[in-house]
Amino acid sequence: MYPSTDTLTRGAALSRPVSREHSRPAADAEILCHHCRLPVPAGDRLADRIEGRELVFCCHGCQAAHRIITGAGLGDFYEKRKWKESGVREKNFSSLYDDDALLPLVEQQGERDVFSFQVEGIRCATCIWLLEKMLEREENVSSARGNYATHRFTVQATAGTLRPASLFQVASSLGYRPRPATADANRQHALREQRRLLVRFGTAAFFSMQLMVFSMALYAGYFQGMDETSRRLLELLAAALATPVVLYAGFPFLAGGLRSLLNKMPNMDLLVALGVSAAYGYSLFALFAGREVYFDSAAMIVTLLLLGRLVEQSARNRAVSAVDQLLHLAPEKALRLTEKGEQEVEASALARGDRILVRPGDRIPVDGVIEKGRTEVDESVVSGESMPVARQQGETIAAGAVNLTEAITLRVAEPAASSFLARMARLVEEAQERRAPVQRSADRIAARFVPLVIVLALLTGLGHLWLGAPPGAALLHLVAVLVVACPCALGLATPMAVVVATARGAAAGVLFRGGDILEQCARIRTVALDKTGTLTQGQPRVVEIRPRNCSEREFLELIGSVEAASNHALAVAIVQEARNRGIALQPLPGRAVAGRGVLVEEKEGFILVGSRRFLEEHGVVVEEPAGPATEVHLARNGISLGLLLLDDPPRQEAAGLIAELAAMKIEVAMLSGDRQQVAARLAASLGIHQAHGDLKPEDKAAWIGDRQAAGEAVLMAGDGINDAPALAAATVGCSLSGATDIALDSSDLVLTRPDLGRLAAALRLARRSLAVIRQNLFWAFTYNLVAIPLAMSGKLAPAWAAAAMAASSLLVVLNSLRLKTVALEPTRLSGR
Amino acid sequence: MLSSTVALIVLSLFLGLGAWFVFLWAEKRGEFDDPEGPKYRMLEDDDESRPGN
Repeated sequence: MYPSTDTLTRGAALSRPVSREHSRPAADAEILCHHCRLPVPAGDRLADRIEGRELVFCCHGCQAAHRIITGAGLGDFYEKRKWKESGVREKNFSSLYDDDALLPLVEQQGERDVFSFQVEGIRCATCIWLLEKMLEREENVSSARGNYATHRFTVQATAGTLRPASLFQVASSLGYRPRPATADANRQHALREQRRLLVRFGTAAFFSMQLMVFSMALYAGYFQGMDETSRRLLELLAAALATPVVLYAGFPFLAGGLRSLLNKMPNMDLLVALGVSAAYGYSLFALFAGREVYFDSAAMIVTLLLLGRLVEQSARNRAVSAVDQLLHLAPEKALRLTEKGEQEVEASALARGDRILVRPGDRIPVDGVIEKGRTEVDESVVSGESMPVARQQGETIAAGAVNLTEAITLRVAEPAASSFLARMARLVEEAQERRAPVQRSADRIAARFVPLVIVLALLTGLGHLWLGAPPGAALLHLVAVLVVACPCALGLATPMAVVVATARGAAAGVLFRGGDILEQCARIRTVALDKTGTLTQGQPRVVEIRPRNCSEREFLELIGSVEAASNHALAVAIVQEARNRGIALQPLPGRAVAGRGVLVEEKEGFILVGSRRFLEEHGVVVEEPAGPATEVHLARNGISLGLLLLDDPPRQEAAGLIAELAAMKIEVAMLSGDRQQVAARLAASLGIHQAHGDLKPEDKAAWIGDRQAAGEAVLMAGDGINDAPALAAATVGCSLSGATDIALDSSDLVLTRPDLGRLAAALRLARRSLAVIRQNLFWAFTYNLVAIPLAMSGKLAPAWAAAAMAASSLLVVLNSLRLKTVALEPTRLSGR
Repeated sequence: MLSSTVALIVLSLFLGLGAWFVFLWAEKRGEFDDPEGPKYRMLEDDDESRPGN
């Protein structure tokens, strides 16, 4: 391992308990700094007494670093670090791309070259700042801008002089990983779409504001009287200002309405298009007929609805970009072993039979069989098994698992395209295709309301004709019905509530990917939860200590001292527990037996720490099995000193969430890939009545499919790759921040803080929103119910109709704003 | 009376159109592309000196 434990102790023994020594014998020149492992020059020697040991440092900096590390309870770093094996891949921080590959991506814009690329490893605003400044120092670069939200950098330089490879080199040398920004057509399209929407909204807003001024004057004139010339002038101005709003800004609604008409599927767009064009068309007609105009209604509907779309879209984009940033689960690079040595290649280029090296801390790039070495892997994202699994020569490892302890050589069993990950991705795709498109409640209403209004309008026109009215007047009454049925309030009822609720959710750590998700969440009656990493913390902890013939403290001290030198996940948990209880550990050098335990030889015997089997193999009598939890036993000189139990404990907020969901009359079930016994025990402790273990990813999705077939709306919350198909299949898929990328990508609802309790808040908010939407719709309909008959009778003065319309819209907006202050955590006294 | 009203109306129209053009110009320059950044950028010192250049 590391070279000089004895040099260290020698140096420590030699140094006297004074903090600094200036003169010492020159013979001991080879003393190494405890922190940085560099030889300590005699004059700079610093000694520190820590945990009863005398340690030597080369400078105050190293001493401070050591204090910080041990002060944080991470002193194990010094025992664990391995000098011969670098944790960071040598080429990690050097760029892999050259100018030949990158130059085609440089865009020429007039006099300048523009180059955009993505940078991984950005952690904070300062990273952006640093990169911008460093990139700008490159020759010929005129400007470098980084986007804080998307981590995309755009560099401009004089035409023909831009050298993208050198820019990549700059980013790499700073420790970031630049990637060529692939021209993702979907993303580009979404971006263009958003910009166009913004322009439409801006245009609508500026023109509507102007328009309102003249409309106010016209309304005042209607009630107080106004001379004909002024009225004509104002009306013409109003018409001029309303035209771009309706025809340009309102174009998406008009086009959407026409499309829905051609498809014979009346929706909200058609309703809006009908209302807008009726109000606008009638006003144009009235302008020449010398009647009241109300261009303002048409313009205001367009403006407010565009605002709603804008806010909704930006919330959606934010959720998407958060996912986009994380979507690099499978390592794109792998280290292939060839006769010439190690070679870094794209994971997709690996073929069956290739040999690859996987270092500790790396994710396994493809399914493979271990050819050399033994290690432990974290397969939690793949199988749901929370404990590290020992794997040795000849055993198979699935792509996506993380190699924990030793470097291994892997023979590729399946190329990347048919790996476990790829199979999961396909399952997700299939599930997403199967999922029926959600129809919003507003669209469902529009489907019935629109034809009804058209029929009523026609009836009105025909009725007045039949009653003997002149054709012109009958047409006017017909249009009046269309106008008064204008879906101002109806059109705003849903979007306003969705906008306010989405913003409220985002502030509370809940991201709804769209208004339809909000509605779906409100209808959820069944919640399925994954076990590992969702209900639990995903890491083993000591849950029980059962000492025999010794105190708990003595037990922990001994077992901790044995395990202190190990970096096995269970050992880490045990040492952590000892440290939490303030027990000082003296690491005992031992011999690790992979998959079994540790053996420490003493003068009069040996200490054994490990599995039941390990101790029994050494002839120790161990007490009866304790249950499904992982056991670690301790024995000294052939006598058992007891055992401790490790488990993956549930999240603190899990039990509270289950209780809250129960109070909301939501059925809760646990779906786990872990053993049935383990799943059932955790479920019982949390108060979950249904626990299903031993489920393969397909089984989880199938369970949800069965429930949906029975007509239930099911929410699935999970975090692993193995949950992804279920997340995609569920009515609403939900994942926590920190979940695997593929899980995030298959989710409609993302809890942006690692707090499962937000799920209840999300559902409560969704229910409140649906209630508000229903109230809004009720008001809008009541208004129509009163106004339409009046208009049909030909008795409603247009100005009053406009005023009533404005009032009902205002009511809807104000009612929606109530969602801003809705309480999301009734069972807790206060948020954090 | 009317002429002054007309003058004011024309003035307000010009102001409104001016604001609209500023908006269009700003959008074209990409001012609205990164709503996250400005709050950090305002805290940065603009150091124009470029050593080695």
